[in-house]
Amino acid sequence: MLRLLLQGAFYTLVLAVAGIAGGTTLGLLLTPLGFLRARPLRAFYHVFIFFTRGTPLLVLALLIFYGLPAMNFSQGPYVAGTIVLTIYSSAFFAEVFRGGVLAIQRTHLESGRSLGLAPLAFLRRIIAPLALRYALPPYVNVCVMMVKASSILSIISVWELTLAAREIIERTLLVFTALGIAAGLYFIMCFGVDRLGRRVERHLMRRGFVGERV
Amino acid sequence: MRFLNWLAAYGPSYGSGLGWTALIALWASVGAIVWGSVLLLIRLSGRRWVNLAVEGYVQLFRNTPVLLSIYLIYFGFPLIGVVWPAVICGGLALVLQNGAYISEILRGGVKAIDLVQFDAAKSLGLSGWGTFRKVVLPQVLVYALPSLGNQVILLVKDTSLLSAISVAELTMNAKLLTEQTGAAYEAFVVVAVLYLLLVVVLELAARSALRAVRWRPRYDAL
Repeated sequence: MLRLLLQGAFYTLVLAVAGIAGGTTLGLLLTPLGFLRARPLRAFYHVFIFFTRGTPLLVLALLIFYGLPAMNFSQGPYVAGTIVLTIYSSAFFAEVFRGGVLAIQRTHLESGRSLGLAPLAFLRRIIAPLALRYALPPYVNVCVMMVKASSILSIISVWELTLAAREIIERTLLVFTALGIAAGLYFIMCFGVDRLGRRVERHLMRRGFVGERV
Repeated sequence: MRFLNWLAAYGPSYGSGLGWTALIALWASVGAIVWGSVLLLIRLSGRRWVNLAVEGYVQLFRNTPVLLSIYLIYFGFPLIGVVWPAVICGGLALVLQNGAYISEILRGGVKAIDLVQFDAAKSLGLSGWGTFRKVVLPQVLVYALPSLGNQVILLVKDTSLLSAISVAELTMNAKLLTEQTGAAYEAFVVVAVLYLLLVVVLELAARSALRAVRWRPRYDAL
C-alpha cells in the first residue's frame, strides 16, 4: 500500500510541477496585457482572470475533460490534467506578478526612466528585479495551492495520490490508514515547497536581491 | 443558438443544484467563522501545549487538500459508527478546513492592534469584555473583512468538491446533465456562470460590509 501511495505522490508532484511551470509561463505572458494601453487587451486580461479565478477548479477540469474530446483533442488524462492546472494557475500567477509590478514605488520607476534606459533594459534592470522582490512570497503560496489543487484532478480520473488513496479504500476499506498516509505525504510536499520557497527567498536576500524594504 | 436552445431546455433543472450549493455554502461558512473564532479564542487564552495543538491543527489543514478531509469524514465516519448524510459530512470537512484559515486571518487582525491600546483600555477602566467589544472587535473587523470575504468565496468554490461524494449540488447537476444529454460543454458553461454570479454577489456583499464597519472618526464625540 505504501508503495502505491508513494507512486501516487510522485505523480502528484509531476503534475504540480508541470502545472506550475506551464502556469508561470502563461502567467508571464498574460501579465503585460494587464499594463497595456490598448483597452481591448486589458479588458481581455481582466475577463480572463475573473473567469478563471471565479469558477471552481473542478468545473474548469470537467469543462476541459469533456470539452477537449469534443474538439477532437484527446491525449489522455495527464495532458488534460496539466492543461487544467496550467490555465488555472496562470490566472493566479499573472495576478501575483501584476501585484509585484504594482508594488514598485513610483520614485524607483521615475529614477529608472530618468536614467534614459531603453525599454527592454528598463524592464530587465528595474522592473523585473523589483517585482520579483515583492512577488516571491505570494508566488510560493500559489505553488503550495497548486500541489493541493492537483488532488481535484482525481475526480476526472487522473491517477495521482488522492486517486491512489481512493482505490486502496475501495479495495481494502482501510480508510484511516490510506488517507492518513496520503495526508502525511501531501503535508510533506506542501511544507517542502513552502520551505524551499523561503530558502530561495533568504538566498536572494543575502545577495541583496529580495526582501528588505527599499 | 445551440447554447440558447440548451438554456431553454435545461435551464430550470439547475434550480435545485443552485439551492443546495447556496445552502451548503451558507451553513459551512457560518460554521467555519464560528469554528475559526473558537480556535482563535483558544489560542489567545491558551497555555503552551494548547497553543501548540491549535498550531499543529492549522498547519495540518493548511497543507493537505480539502478533498482528502471530505473523503476522510465521508468514508471514515461510518466505520466508527457515525452515519451522516453526505451533505453534512462534506460540509463538516469544509468547516474544519476553512476554520483553520479563518482563525489565522482573525489572528492577523488581532495582532495588528497595537499593544498600547490594551493598556489604554485598561486605564480607561474597560473590563475584558468591554475591551473586546469596544476596542478589539471594531478594528479586527476592518482588518480582517477583506480576507474573510476572500475565504468565503474560496469556500463557495470548494463546495463543488462535494459532487465527488454524490451531493446533488451545482457541479453534480451539470455532470448528470452532461451524461444524460451527451452535450460536451454546455452544462459546465452554465454552471461556471452561476458560480461567477455567486462570487460577484459575495464580493459586493463583502464590500458593503466593509463600508458598514469601517471606523470613521466621530468628531461629535470629542
